[in-house]
Amino acid sequence: MKRLTSIIFAALAVVVLGAAYAMPALSAHAVSSSAALSITPKKSYNVTPGRGISDNLTIRNIDSERPLELNLRVVDFTYTDDGGTPKLMLDEDAPQTTWSLKPFLSVPQSVVIQPNQSKTVELNLSVPANQGAGSYYSAIVYSSGASDGGNVGLSASGVTLVFASVAGDVNEDLQLKQFGAYNSETRKYKFINTTPPKNVAYTLKNNGNVTEAPVGAITIKHMFGKEQRIDNVNPNQSLALIGQERTFSACIKLATAQVDFNGNRTEAKTCDNPGLWPGYYSLSLDLFYGQNGNRTQEITGAGGFWYLPWWFIFVFSIAVIVIAYYITKTYRTIQAKLYGGKPKRKSRRR
Amino acid sequence: MVLAIMVFASPASAAMRFQERSLYMLSTEPGVTTSYTVSFQYMSQLSVGSVDLLFCDDPIPYHPCATPPGMSVANAELTEQAGETGFSITQKSTNHLVMSRPLQMVTANTPSSYTFTNIKNPTNNDISFSIRLRSHASQNATGPQIDFGSVKGQTQTGITIQTQVPPMLIFCLAQEVEYNCTGTNDIYYSNMGELSPNSTLTARSQMAVGTNASGGFAITANGGSVSAGTSVIDGSPVPIESRPGTNQFGLNLVANANPVVGENPEGEYANAVASPDYSIPDKYKFVDGDVVAFSPNVSLMKKYTVSYILNSRADLPPGVYSTTINYIASGRF
Repeated sequence: MKRLTSIIFAALAVVVLGAAYAMPALSAHAVSSSAALSITPKKSYNVTPGRGISDNLTIRNIDSERPLELNLRVVDFTYTDDGGTPKLMLDEDAPQTTWSLKPFLSVPQSVVIQPNQSKTVELNLSVPANQGAGSYYSAIVYSSGASDGGNVGLSASGVTLVFASVAGDVNEDLQLKQFGAYNSETRKYKFINTTPPKNVAYTLKNNGNVTEAPVGAITIKHMFGKEQRIDNVNPNQSLALIGQERTFSACIKLATAQVDFNGNRTEAKTCDNPGLWPGYYSLSLDLFYGQNGNRTQEITGAGGFWYLPWWFIFVFSIAVIVIAYYITKTYRTIQAKLYGGKPKRKSRRR
Repeated sequence: MVLAIMVFASPASAAMRFQERSLYMLSTEPGVTTSYTVSFQYMSQLSVGSVDLLFCDDPIPYHPCATPPGMSVANAELTEQAGETGFSITQKSTNHLVMSRPLQMVTANTPSSYTFTNIKNPTNNDISFSIRLRSHASQNATGPQIDFGSVKGQTQTGITIQTQVPPMLIFCLAQEVEYNCTGTNDIYYSNMGELSPNSTLTARSQMAVGTNASGGFAITANGGSVSAGTSVIDGSPVPIESRPGTNQFGLNLVANANPVVGENPEGEYANAVASPDYSIPDKYKFVDGDVVAFSPNVSLMKKYTVSYILNSRADLPPGVYSTTINYIASGRF
């Protein structure tokens, strides 16, 4: 009996040990969480010092089989370049920015969402009564678990950018740095264009302590007088962050279309061919910015660009050659008629 | 004499911009009825009989005026005034107010402010609007303008309005994903095989992304070098071709011929693109935190196939070389 018991325990021990060694190998290559999510990309709040705001963030697990396990953390961010891509400060020991919302913003540390389900998590924003006016911003990062297996492990994260504007007297200062025709693919200003420019852009340096979203208009005038106008110079309500030199670009001819996104109708904007004639275009810019209760400030600017397509350069060159040829020919004909085919020589007097 | 009169008289009669213009909205919640305080300095030392306030979505005075959706000043009352005073509202409609007073000379550079109650905010969230201001000598805001200028306002709230479609960002990632993120193969790693100085190891993963947010999205690739203990294969800091026999790790988001790996982005919508450095066929790069794909505005779903290459030198110490890349999808500002 004792022997039988020993055999059973030994067999169990082998099974348990075997399982213990086998499990890590399995779990190393298996991730229990989904990596398919839907989140709110941006939130903006007006905050009165001393008062709190509570809001809900909706997160959806798009995966139909696996639960979505997310860890939430608040990190600071700044700008990457002159565009609108945030540079997240993901290091645990990254220094806190002067515009950080971290001390005022709280969200749960983790959330689990069942397949094909949504969940709302509470966001609390509490700004102390003595907090100075200005813009504050941070980001909420939702991270799914990382895989340990293979040479390249993958993990997915989503981010909600959170902006809070604390009311009061703020320091607003935008300076116009550049203005002209813009190639949105190369992200460069272009003075001479051989293809019709689709965008006009302006670059503003934000020296204030608030984020700014300017509004206004751009007038484009052809050298022969034809005028067109861009009524909305900041169609996406883009922001210049604190300290950022931000380029805002607007379509010369905007095309809007209703598209279906995830079952909802959404207005999508693209730049259409503006149908420009060759020649020189002068540009004028009239911008307004200012926070609630603060001075509305105005920026004006002027610029211009050439649109000279290759076909136009070719035709123009041919036309110049033809005109030059006929002028020369006419000159020679006149000379011939006046002086009998030889140019008149100056006689020297002694 | 005539010339001198023209030169010196003209500037005085030319319209000037009101200075120190501002608008204070007691509440910025969309659609609520609240009070506005409009402040400015009269600049021309002339007699003023009326001030015209036109509420438009655009501040430019010579543009056609479109009333901000939901806004109404038809029931506005002038409750406080300071600086240049004596005004009362004599005309009002949905987006237009005229305040008048007996013709009276203004004191130039005097800060003035006017508080109006019972103004209904525009209903659009996060949209700016403007009040176009003009002063006139007449009492009904007709005839030549004296000073002009605009003030900017904006509605904003933190609470999502349920009748509107909220902005959303959809993102999924795995070795293989469905175009619209409804399914993945649930594999979150790639085994590349045995390192060799004579051949290039390859792998691929996929991700799909889309957003209805007007600011668009950006995806960054975040992670360290491929390493085994203290032995490291660094990412290529610039896009370069695959070079077997050197230590090289890189990725791109397009179809490649050398080595044969990857696919071009799928999705007809042109707004979303792979970043220029990561969209050159047969050129691979990896810098921690780089933006690998983005859209400047609304983008329907787009699927990207990420190709990875790994090369090694003959003297690379043996070990299991690995890294984890965290793809972060964010909105743009």
